[in-house]
Amino acid sequence: MTTKSPLVFSILTECGTSKARVSRMILPHGPVDLPVFMPVGTQGTLKGMLPEQLEELGLQIMLANTYHLGTKPGTEILQKAGGLHKFMNWNGCLLTDSGGFQMVSLLKLAEITEDGVRFQSLNDQKAEVMLTPEHSIEIQNAIGADIIMQLDDVVKTTNPDKERIEESVYRTTRWLDRCLKAHQNPDTQNIFPIVQGTLYEDLREKSAKDHIERDVRGFAIGGLSGGESKDDFWKMVHLSTNILPKNKPRYLMGVGFAEDLVVCCALGVDMFDCVFPTRTARFGCALTRKGQLNLKKEQFKKDFRPIDENCPCNTCKNYTRAYLSGIVTVLPVACHLLTEHNIVFQMNLMKDIRQSITKGKFPDFVRDFMLQVYPTKNYPSWIIDSLSAVNIKLK
Amino acid sequence: MKFYVEPLSKCTQRLGSLSEIESKPTVNIKTPAVMLHTQGGQIPHITHEVFKLVSRKSQILQIPLAGMHTFKEAMQYYEGTISSFIGSKDSLSCLTLQDPCNITKQGHHSTLKVPIWTKNGKVYYDAKSYMDVVESFKPDIYFLLSDGDTNISSSEKRIAKSVSNTMNFYKECLDRHRKSDALKHSFVIAPIVGGYKQISRERYISFILEDMKNVDGFLIDGLHNNGPEAEFLEFNEIEPIVRCILNKIPTEKLRVVQGCWNPVNIINLVELGIDLFDTSYCHILTERSAAMTFAIEITDQTNTYEINLRDSKYVDDFQPVLIGCECLSCTKYSRAYIHHLLSVHELLGPILVMIHNVYHYLRFFEKIRSCIQNNTLQTLQLSITEQFRNHQKTK
Repeated sequence: MTTKSPLVFSILTECGTSKARVSRMILPHGPVDLPVFMPVGTQGTLKGMLPEQLEELGLQIMLANTYHLGTKPGTEILQKAGGLHKFMNWNGCLLTDSGGFQMVSLLKLAEITEDGVRFQSLNDQKAEVMLTPEHSIEIQNAIGADIIMQLDDVVKTTNPDKERIEESVYRTTRWLDRCLKAHQNPDTQNIFPIVQGTLYEDLREKSAKDHIERDVRGFAIGGLSGGESKDDFWKMVHLSTNILPKNKPRYLMGVGFAEDLVVCCALGVDMFDCVFPTRTARFGCALTRKGQLNLKKEQFKKDFRPIDENCPCNTCKNYTRAYLSGIVTVLPVACHLLTEHNIVFQMNLMKDIRQSITKGKFPDFVRDFMLQVYPTKNYPSWIIDSLSAVNIKLK
Repeated sequence: MKFYVEPLSKCTQRLGSLSEIESKPTVNIKTPAVMLHTQGGQIPHITHEVFKLVSRKSQILQIPLAGMHTFKEAMQYYEGTISSFIGSKDSLSCLTLQDPCNITKQGHHSTLKVPIWTKNGKVYYDAKSYMDVVESFKPDIYFLLSDGDTNISSSEKRIAKSVSNTMNFYKECLDRHRKSDALKHSFVIAPIVGGYKQISRERYISFILEDMKNVDGFLIDGLHNNGPEAEFLEFNEIEPIVRCILNKIPTEKLRVVQGCWNPVNIINLVELGIDLFDTSYCHILTERSAAMTFAIEITDQTNTYEINLRDSKYVDDFQPVLIGCECLSCTKYSRAYIHHLLSVHELLGPILVMIHNVYHYLRFFEKIRSCIQNNTLQTLQLSITEQFRNHQKTK
């Protein structure tokens, strides 16, 4: 039995201008410097990267998906292995999702009831699968991640039916309580609730305030980054971080494009996850501060520069765009090389964000960053508005 | 680059070294040795950085032109060597024609041209266009162009054609080599053709013996059409023709064979005096999810020749692939985890299998060299042969 809390959070520096802050979170498998971007290692592996390589890069935390792992290898094997950390030889921190979102995207949704979410499998037998809050926590307990997510009643932001959304807000809180009750490892795994409410301010506020009353060590902001307009998106993030307590980490789910990360850090978010960097690597795209490079294009065939001259990663140290252009989407190893670059890109971005906050220069960093992305200063209005809301003016 | 070898008898096991390499004076490669087979400039599944976790010793990369055709144009503009272009400037490069892992399609012949099978179909090379590529690649070692499309069932007509084509290629390529400044430090290997017809082989060898200047070694070409089937070649069928060739060529020069030879045939060929092979066998095993587990030392704890990690019996087998193996896959990962990765088609699966297979194969060659040193090669041969036969019985 450990007497230390499984999540110790401390704010190190606050940006004097915006809501950004640098903090540190200590979890059972180690410390995490915040704000952090967590890459997604869906099936217990990160697109061909060895855990040894990830450790060397300084990666502290990654995601794994409960639905996939619950199906294969399944809870029994995970339990026999002693948990996912041991199974995949990853000594850093892990976060698992509840399985709900994956199931919505991968299976045919049959019905949501108070009991749980019922799905129809897409195989020939059309077997029905039920995911309840208890079952989700059971799988996540077997996986053994440092942070685990409640099962939530997710509704698309494009759904206008306020009654349905209100139902989902109250149900999400009831499901949170069921998750907390079913949780077998409260001393080694932290359940994070998920704030819902789509684009309704009053419902978001209700959801957040209800969750705050529970004994939890961090909060997730859910239901965004899925089809809503960016103008609505930032306002909901801003509202959520205003209500959620400052002394606990805030995790914005599914956000990963560079400019979104910068803006949301300014709005006070501490943790992010997204499949984008690793997924786009598979399609031959490399990330830079100025935008994506689609390396399959003709223009790179004789370009003997690295992806990014300022990037310290192995891919940029040893390979040219010309060479990568010839192997992306052809050799499996190319995916590995681009994944490494894209992960280092995301990590360097977060490191620069943290360092600029620590030095009291975050607003300058934001301005310089946005200028790199939009050299002609044609900033989208949502970026101008969101930054303005936290006192950062783009010239 | 110089090749030193002892003893200088015609058909006997021997120990040699490749050293005094102009660009890499400290490198010393001991033979019998194995080149690292690559596709598109990469060891299948293993980046050059990850390979350092397998071995830190200098290596020769076998680079088939078949997989490099896409870079032909870029290399005309690139100022470095092929080793640095593919991201491995500290490795020696050996340019060859076809990929030993893929079956070379028979037919499609054209006089004084050779079809090279690229991923987009066949591309014809004649002596001039081939040497243009060689000069732009600047490899440390390269094979002269040859028409080696023969196997044990080839017709007399085909054999005669392969001999006459290759005689022409020999003259023209060497002529060009002698005039080339870019290739003045490159080690030249002359393929020997003639199918399984002794007279043809002898005729070809007599022809090239008339002009041996600048030729540093020989490839015994035309024994098979590449691809996974080479694993099943019977040694008693190839021994007579190999002996015939080795009896006629100068003993002090390097002798090379290519292809997915099984370990029993490797030792048999080493006994006859072959110096250099390639790791294509490792790749074809990995492609079928198999890991090499044959005992190299008497003390190795294993009773299988190879295991197929897709087999469901490994789903909860938390032992390493090979107990006692010190490779990364065996010291840090379990059969159960590798099985999981393979069954969900994750990139890391083949990576871990390949890391083990290449490590095991390199250890096998180290053992071969030490057995030659201690005059115990026959003991190793008996052990490997017995394990192989037992394996064939159980299949």
